[in-house]
Amino acid sequence: MATGEHILLTAREARKRKLFGLLGRSLLLLITSVAALAVLAIIFFIARDALPFFSGGRSAAFFLSTAWYPTHEPPQFGAAAIFVGSLLVTAAAVVLAVPPGVCAALCMSDILPFNVRQVLKPVIEMLAAIPSVAYGFFALVVLAPLLQEQGGRLLAAAWWTLALPALGLAAVVGADLLTPAELPERAHNVLRAALTLLFLAAASVILVVVGRVLAAVRIASGVNALNASVILGVMALPTIVSVSEDALQAAGRELREGSYALGATRAETLVKVVIPAAVSGIFSAVLLGIMRALGETMVVWMASGNAAQIPKPAYNLLLPVRTLTATIAGDMGEADQMTGSAHYHVLFAMGLSLLIFSFACNLAGEWIVARQRKRLRGG
Amino acid sequence: MRRTTRKLLDRALTLSACFAVALMAAFLLFVLAPILVKGASAYLFRATAEHRRMMRDQFGRGDAGQMRAERAAVLEARRPLYEAMAAFERELAEMPAARRRELRPAFQEVREGIARLLGPEPGAPLPALTRRLYGQTRWDRARIQADRILFEETWDYSGERGVRVRAPREPLFEGTALAPVFPMLRESLSPMLRPRLTFYPRFLTDKSFDAHFFGGIGPEVMGTVYLALGAMLIAVPLGIVAAIYFQEYARNGPMLSFLRSCVNTLAGVPSIVFGLFGLAFFINTLKVSPGKSVLAGALTLALLVLPTVIRASEEAIAAVPRSYKEAALALGAGQWRTILTVILPAALPGILTGTVISMGRAAGETAPIIFTAAVSVGRLIRPSELLAQPTPALSWNLYNLCTEHEAVDEIRHVQYGMAATLVAIVLLLNLTAIVIRARVARKLKG
Repeated sequence: MATGEHILLTAREARKRKLFGLLGRSLLLLITSVAALAVLAIIFFIARDALPFFSGGRSAAFFLSTAWYPTHEPPQFGAAAIFVGSLLVTAAAVVLAVPPGVCAALCMSDILPFNVRQVLKPVIEMLAAIPSVAYGFFALVVLAPLLQEQGGRLLAAAWWTLALPALGLAAVVGADLLTPAELPERAHNVLRAALTLLFLAAASVILVVVGRVLAAVRIASGVNALNASVILGVMALPTIVSVSEDALQAAGRELREGSYALGATRAETLVKVVIPAAVSGIFSAVLLGIMRALGETMVVWMASGNAAQIPKPAYNLLLPVRTLTATIAGDMGEADQMTGSAHYHVLFAMGLSLLIFSFACNLAGEWIVARQRKRLRGG
Repeated sequence: MRRTTRKLLDRALTLSACFAVALMAAFLLFVLAPILVKGASAYLFRATAEHRRMMRDQFGRGDAGQMRAERAAVLEARRPLYEAMAAFERELAEMPAARRRELRPAFQEVREGIARLLGPEPGAPLPALTRRLYGQTRWDRARIQADRILFEETWDYSGERGVRVRAPREPLFEGTALAPVFPMLRESLSPMLRPRLTFYPRFLTDKSFDAHFFGGIGPEVMGTVYLALGAMLIAVPLGIVAAIYFQEYARNGPMLSFLRSCVNTLAGVPSIVFGLFGLAFFINTLKVSPGKSVLAGALTLALLVLPTVIRASEEAIAAVPRSYKEAALALGAGQWRTILTVILPAALPGILTGTVISMGRAAGETAPIIFTAAVSVGRLIRPSELLAQPTPALSWNLYNLCTEHEAVDEIRHVQYGMAATLVAIVLLLNLTAIVIRARVARKLKG
């Protein structure tokens, strides 16, 4: 090469290069396939070890019965209560985490100044990385005793922090909205002030009454569905905030500027323009939050109490529940001795259920993204 | 709508959004602060003379002469206490039978309490359990133990819920030779134990003994490091190759979109399912090791972090300016040479960022290693045993210590220390990633 005599390749060398190129290419494809097809192997091996359970004719009891006595003789594998426990904890966590998460994302994308956001964003991503066992440790060692000893007061305090600003704002805004706009300036102001006072009085009555009721609540055990849901919610928050914020950012400057140019306020721009444009991204964030909460093991294992029962009434979060992930983690303890037993296979059946649910979430997410892409392209 | 109303609504939204951010920050602080603050007390605490004696005996640390002098001073300070106990024992022998029956069990409790507080009495036979060889090594625990001697704790179940009742023990022994012991425990505990603020950085590397009653978390830290490094060793080459294929070779088509959605799906698999898969595939089917092992755990964790590594590497490769590649091709380099000598070096910082973040994730995960790699009680394993031996790990042992340990309350500081160490490791890794990313961004800006 250096002397310039071999600028053109001989036919043989060209063939050799082509061959090597092809070889390298297939090698790359092979390795990539190993990485990508791992998920198929996971499905195959989980299903393989779950099938003996389902083919044993116990699947009806698995989904419908609540009798979970895996070590009795004969064993009973009714997992309905465990499914309900998983769904209950996940649903509560998502309900707790989504509204503040989306509000925080709004605040970060449109309200806080740019350099604050630059700092806050990596901090939030760092928080998403905190190991779940640390959260579980907090739930078990700090939050559970607190709930058990000061449960009512804690609930009342949470109610006051959340409801005081919410009801206060609602009273002021509601009074303003309900005052007829046609009245002359003076009458309008007087009426609005009167209504505001009235609403504020009503709000404070509600605040105090509900606060009293909550303060009287006694929690028998600090490890319960509420504890697990709160911690799962906190864990899912960074993910939800980060992904929603990306979606809100992706809505773009032009949309916002167009809306402002038409005279809309920031709130109107956000609610009527930016959020509808970003709604698919926000949905993906919520789905990610659901998947994170449902698949989480350590927090629910440590904080949910692990009692295989359906709470009565079903929305009573103050009772202990048991979840799929915690059952798998807790019961597989003696896996070496268990391999091949019915108990081993039922835990794989639970794993398969989790896997199917997470695939469903994934598919839903991809479908939403695809639909949005189509809509943006002009459909 | 009136203009004022619209303004009001605007303000309301701004306020509630800012409130949400404040709430989130407050809650995360509420969770993290206790872990980090109390965790620091595993490293920095007021250590008693018993701690120094334990260190000298078990690890051979500390100056022998100084230690002997301190031991003598401490025993001198404790002498009145032991003398009072001996005097009371003599007195007890001469008491009427009824009174003796009343006092003897209470005296036994006090005596055992004091042995736990200060260590075995001089001259008494040495106990078999290591934890009974020494008194309380931490001043905070010593205060609690002294309190347990001073007050008898019982539960009153007459109401609907049990209520804790604390009854002082002192009145029972009023007028006996044991009476002076109680004021001594209250007021002059300090010369008996000599608490001194001690920085114990070797908590991170010391082995532990007698079920974590003494010592550090060395084996757990090393187990976590082995698992995380092993996972990265497997996941990073695979991930980079897959990223190169996706970015540089693959053509759009059903094949590519299928492979891509496989990777996306892998990212959504719950971590406990990875654990089940590791058990069913690596251990029960491939039999990479006779039972749980670091190798099986690292393989499982590698799969878990693989999608993150692929995605980060892809982003890094995609961010390499097109002109670099075109320049290399124009100079006559083949595709291989372009990738190896131009694209990968330029993408390296980005790939490194993704690797470091994934390593944090692998270090913190618990669920995948429960059935594949982790044991509760274990010693530091040697590198030669990595292929076949299970290991303790920070995440799993934190769970184990705070749920299944026989004396959960007495080793809280170890649990907090483990939690804080784990959180600190993960946060430091993430911080490193952020710093690398910021540097790269600055470099790209010029």
